[in-house]
Amino acid sequence: MTDLSTGSTPTATRASTGVPGGPALPMLRDRHRGRLWLVGAVLIAAFVFLLIEGLGSSLNYFDTVDQAFAHRGSLGTTTFRLEGNVVPGTIRSTSVGANFSISEGDHVVRVVNTGSPPQLFQSGIPVVLVGHFTSTTSDDFASNSILVKHSANYIARYPTRVTAKNGSVR
Amino acid sequence: MMAVATVSRPRWLSVVGLLGVVAVAGTVWLGLWITPPDVTQGNLARLLYIHPPLATVALYWAGSVAAAGSLLYLWPRTRSLFWDRLAAAAVEVGAVFSALTLITGSLWGRPAWGAWWTWDARLTSTALLLLLELGYLALRRVPADVAVRARRCAVAALLVAVDVPIVHFSVDWWQTLHQTGTVLDPGFHLHVHGSMAWTLLLGFIAFSLIFVWLLGVRYRIEVLQDMVGDQELEVSLVERWSEGTELAGVGSAGRGRPGGETP
Repeated sequence: MTDLSTGSTPTATRASTGVPGGPALPMLRDRHRGRLWLVGAVLIAAFVFLLIEGLGSSLNYFDTVDQAFAHRGSLGTTTFRLEGNVVPGTIRSTSVGANFSISEGDHVVRVVNTGSPPQLFQSGIPVVLVGHFTSTTSDDFASNSILVKHSANYIARYPTRVTAKNGSVR
Repeated sequence: MMAVATVSRPRWLSVVGLLGVVAVAGTVWLGLWITPPDVTQGNLARLLYIHPPLATVALYWAGSVAAAGSLLYLWPRTRSLFWDRLAAAAVEVGAVFSALTLITGSLWGRPAWGAWWTWDARLTSTALLLLLELGYLALRRVPADVAVRARRCAVAALLVAVDVPIVHFSVDWWQTLHQTGTVLDPGFHLHVHGSMAWTLLLGFIAFSLIFVWLLGVRYRIEVLQDMVGDQELEVSLVERWSEGTELAGVGSAGRGRPGGETP
């Protein structure tokens, strides 16, 4: 039987201690190990630095409406992802999808979407659209995909609803 | 005949496993029948009680145990195969939880976002975490001396651990489709209300217990695997030794015979 807390076995213990080398070998081995650690640390630091600093901007999944207006000229009619809140009362169903507006601050973008909106699409929620401005000067956005960006808030739909003694919900 | 390797199974581990299963059952019951639908997501929000707890275990519990075990193995004063095996068990269980996190997230994403998968920073870094964990497990199966394997794997586990804070902070560092922190925001404000919050808390406890149970079971298997490997090595050595003895016996007998082999 072996103790589960250590799980050590004779061979395992023997193997873990290693074979002692001559008087000069441990020094060389330590220096070699030190260099390996240094190389490893530099590689990890470079990996993290590149990820955060170098790729940081390209890892943003979308541009907000404000960001899109800030570099409106360079965007032109290229396809990108645009995020904004659906303006209440602007959703109109069409034969090919839905028209609506999204906003952030004072900026409003009119959206012409083709394709079925997702299940949770509704007024007042943030959405991410895949598409492009219809011209270099227009604020109209033609999108072919809507992704709902739901918040981290979870609130009961019927907070005042109670369960009666017979089990029915009112 | 080779002796069968055995390792005592602590009673507390079975108790933890049983409590975990009961807590998961309680979470499912509360999540499906007792808690109300969400004001925005309706019944889709019921995945809240499963997905974030799975992700918490995959990211924080498994990641912490694997990183701590690997560091303690690499530190000469605390070097023990216990830490190596514990880290290996944590990475393997973590890989299971990472896969479940991605699966449940995908199931939630399709109706909620409108997409099974998308390459935003949170999802991509979580997928990277699973790939790194699978890489660690592949490295562990490369034949090597126990000490060499343990050292390699400890370094690999630390590389896996680099991805953990990236996954955690991805929703703060970059603009992502994935929501920000589910339970508490950076200002420690709770965003889940009423019975939904309590059910989520039970979910965290339930899957944490399951993690501890699986970690213990997997650690035990790791010990048994090493013991079987040691026993097979010893049997091979004994067989080789006996072959050598037999050959030496035949050789000496041959030399003793008139007209036998000359050296």
